[in-house]
Amino acid sequence: MKKLIQFKNIVKGFDNKIALKGINLDIYEEEFVTLLGPSGCGKTTLLRILGGFLAQDEGQVIFDGKDISKVPPHKREVNTVFQKYALFPNMDVYNNIAFGLKIKKEPKDIIEQKVNRMLKLVNLEDYAHRGVMEMSGGQQQRVAIARALINEPSVLLLDEPLGALDLKLRREMQHELKRIQQEVGITFIYVTHDQEEALTMSDKIVVMKDGEIQQIGTPTDIYNEPINEFVASFIGESNILQGVMLEDRRVMFEGRKFDCVDEGFEKNEVVDVVIRPEDLDIVPRKEGKLKGVVKSVLFKGVHYETMVETKIGTEITVKMKVSDDRPVYNEDANEKISANDFYLDVDDVEELDDATIIARADAQAWDPEADELISIKEVQYNIKKENGTYPVTFSTAAGTSVTVNMIVKDENHVISEENEEEIFAVNFFKKVDEIQESIALETDLKTWANASAWSLEDDTAVEITDVKYDFDAAHIVSGVYDVTFATKGYEYKIDTTDYHEVGEEVGLIFQPEDIHIMSRPS
Amino acid sequence: MRQFRSMVYPYLIWCSIMVVLPMLLILLYAFTGEGNDVTSFRFTFANFIRFFQDAVFLDVLKRSLVIAIWTTIICVLLGYPIAYVIASGKEKSKMFWILLITLPTWINMLVRTYAWMGILQDEGLLNRVLGFFGIGPFHMMHTTFAVVLGMVYNFIPFMILQIHASLAKMDKSLLEAAQDLGANSVQSFMRVTLPLSLPGVLSGITLVFLPAVSSFFIPKLLGGGQYVLIGNVIETQFLTSGDWNFGSAISMIMAVIIMLSMYLTRKVDTDPAANGRRRS
Repeated sequence: MKKLIQFKNIVKGFDNKIALKGINLDIYEEEFVTLLGPSGCGKTTLLRILGGFLAQDEGQVIFDGKDISKVPPHKREVNTVFQKYALFPNMDVYNNIAFGLKIKKEPKDIIEQKVNRMLKLVNLEDYAHRGVMEMSGGQQQRVAIARALINEPSVLLLDEPLGALDLKLRREMQHELKRIQQEVGITFIYVTHDQEEALTMSDKIVVMKDGEIQQIGTPTDIYNEPINEFVASFIGESNILQGVMLEDRRVMFEGRKFDCVDEGFEKNEVVDVVIRPEDLDIVPRKEGKLKGVVKSVLFKGVHYETMVETKIGTEITVKMKVSDDRPVYNEDANEKISANDFYLDVDDVEELDDATIIARADAQAWDPEADELISIKEVQYNIKKENGTYPVTFSTAAGTSVTVNMIVKDENHVISEENEEEIFAVNFFKKVDEIQESIALETDLKTWANASAWSLEDDTAVEITDVKYDFDAAHIVSGVYDVTFATKGYEYKIDTTDYHEVGEEVGLIFQPEDIHIMSRPS
Repeated sequence: MRQFRSMVYPYLIWCSIMVVLPMLLILLYAFTGEGNDVTSFRFTFANFIRFFQDAVFLDVLKRSLVIAIWTTIICVLLGYPIAYVIASGKEKSKMFWILLITLPTWINMLVRTYAWMGILQDEGLLNRVLGFFGIGPFHMMHTTFAVVLGMVYNFIPFMILQIHASLAKMDKSLLEAAQDLGANSVQSFMRVTLPLSLPGVLSGITLVFLPAVSSFFIPKLLGGGQYVLIGNVIETQFLTSGDWNFGSAISMIMAVIIMLSMYLTRKVDTDPAANGRRRS
C-alpha cells in the first residue's frame, strides 16, 4: 500500500495552550485509521488541520507527495463528516447530497445518477425529497456520509460522527461505516473518544493524549500490547499493578515471582504489569496463583465483573468504648451534667485548651425541666506530655460537676512499608444513643476515631475505603468494641461467567502470556 | 392555572379600551359621513369613493409606496453587508457594533430628523464640507433624496438587527461543510448563508417598509410642505381639515395595503422552505 498522507512534526497552539506537540504520522491508502483519545487530546485539531479548517503553526501536511499546507479547504481532495452533521437545513436530502456536484457544475443527469447511487449506498432510497430536519439522527448521519462521499474524495474525515446517537444505533452505524469503507475502498480517518468504536472498525488506531501520539498499531496490538499505563487503561479494562522485572521472562509482583513472555527490560527494572480482566480466572483457593477474597460482584449482562482483593490495605484497629452512663444529677441546683472519657495523642497535649477538652469529652450540662443547656464555667485538669491517665473535672456555676479521664497515648499509627502508607486513628468513647442515632455510621466512626491515612511517598491523603466492625448499631449495649479502618489493598477486576459470593475466599490463575509488562513513565 | 386566569382581565380591559375601541371607532368613522357627531351617523362608502376618484390622492399613495420601496431596497443593500461584517466579527466587537447601531434609537426620532435638517440645508454642514473640496453646493432639502435619506437613516437599525440575528444563529459548521464540499466563499455565501438569512431579511423588510409607508413627520420635516405623502394626508385630515371620516377611510386603505404586503412577505418567506421543507 502507498503512503497517502504524511503529517510531519505538526505543532499547533491555541492561546498559550499547546494542542499538538509535534505529530508525525503516516496514513496509507484504503486504511481505516482511528484517532483515539480523551477530549482535549488534539485529535479533532489534527483532523481539522487535514481538512484545511485550521493552519498548523509548524510542520507540514504532505498529501500524495505534495505539501498541501497552503491549499484552502475547497481545493483539498478530502471530505468531512462533521460532528453535528452540518446538513444544510434549507435543502432536502437530494440537494444536500448533490451539493458538491452542483458546485462542480456537473450535468443534471449525471448528478441524478450519482445521487441515487449514494442514496442506495447509505440505504436512504426512499428519502430523497425529505427535509433533512425531519429525519432522525441516524438518517441525518447517513445523509452526511453520502454528501461527503459523492465527491469521490481519496480520504473521508469523520469527526466523532456517532457521538449523538444512542448505543444501539451507534453499534449499527459502526458496521455500516465499515461496510461503506470497504465498499468504496478509500481511506477513512475517524476521530473518537470511544475505544469500542476504535477497536471495532479500525485497521489502525492512533492513541493520543495531551497533543502527543502514545501508540500506533492495529486494534489487536494496542489491546494486547499497550505501550504504557495510559493506553492500557484507556483501551479496555485492565488491572495495572507495580512489579519488578527480575530477568527476561520473569517478573515479580505482589511479592511472588511469575513467568511471563516479555523480554528486553533492565534487570530489576520497576515496571507496570497489566492483566486484562478476561484473562484472569477464579479457581478454588488452593489452586490459585494469587489468593484473595471477593469484594463485590456486578452483573454486566454477558458476564459478572468480580472484584477480588488479594492483599488488604493498611489497617488500624481501635477500641470503641460504649457506655450508657447516667448523667450526674445535682438536686439542689436542679442541673444535670455528663461527659465521656477520651483519648489524646501525645502531640496534641501542648495545644490543649478548655474548648477542645469540652468538645472531645462531649461535656454538657443542662436543666432537665426546661431542657436548656447551661454553660460549663470551669474545666480543671493537670496534664503532662507523656502517656498516662489524667482526670478532668467539668463544673457549672452552681457547682454541679463531673469527672472523667483523659488518656494520653502515642501508639495510634500503623505504618505499612509495603504499601508505603501510614494510617492513624484513636480509641474513642461513645454513648449508646449516639451510635443508635447515627445516620451514616461508617462516616461517623471515621470522624469519631479521627481516622486518616496518607502516602509515605508524597504525603497525599489516601482514602479509607473500609470500616469494619462487629456490632449491630441499632441494638448496641455498653461494652468495648473493635473498629478497624483500612485503605484499599490490591484489587483485581475479573470477568467471569460464574457467580461468586461476596466474601468467598478464592484463588486467581492466569497464563504467562496473559501478563503484559510496560515500562513506567520516567 | 385556573386561579391565575382572572389576572388577565385587567389587561383585557386595558386592551379593549386602548386598542380595540379606537380601531372600531376608526372603522366606524371610515364608513360614516358628515362630521364627528357619532349620534346621528349613517353608513356610506363615499369616503372611499372620494379617495379612489381623486387623482391627487392616488398620486400621493403611489409616491408613498415608491418611497417606502426605495427606502426598503436601500436598507437591504446597505444593511446586509453591515450585518454580515458584524456577524462574522469577534464576540467583543459584535457587542460594540450592535451598541453603536442601536445608540441613535435611544434619542427621539424627531430630534434626529431635525439634526438632518441642519446637515442638509443649503447652508448646511454637508454643503460646507463639500464646498471645502470645491463640490456643490447642492439643493438637498425638500427633495426625494432628503426624504429617503431620512427614512433610511431612521429605519436601517431594524434591518441590520434582524439580518444580524439570523446570521448570528447560523451554525458556522455549515459554512465549513460548504467549503469542504468544494464551494468557494462566493458559492457558499450564495447557496448557504444567503438562503439561511432570508427570514431575517424578510422580517427586516417588514420592519422597515411599514413605518416608511406611513411615516408623516420625516416627509414633513425633510420634504417640506410641498412633499406630501399619505401619512401627511391622514395627518392633515385629522388635525387641519377636521374631516375625521375621510382620514379614517385613508387609514383603513393603508391598513389593507399593509396587511396585503405582510401577507405577501410571509408567502415569500415560506416559499424557499417549501423545497427544503422545514427550517429549524
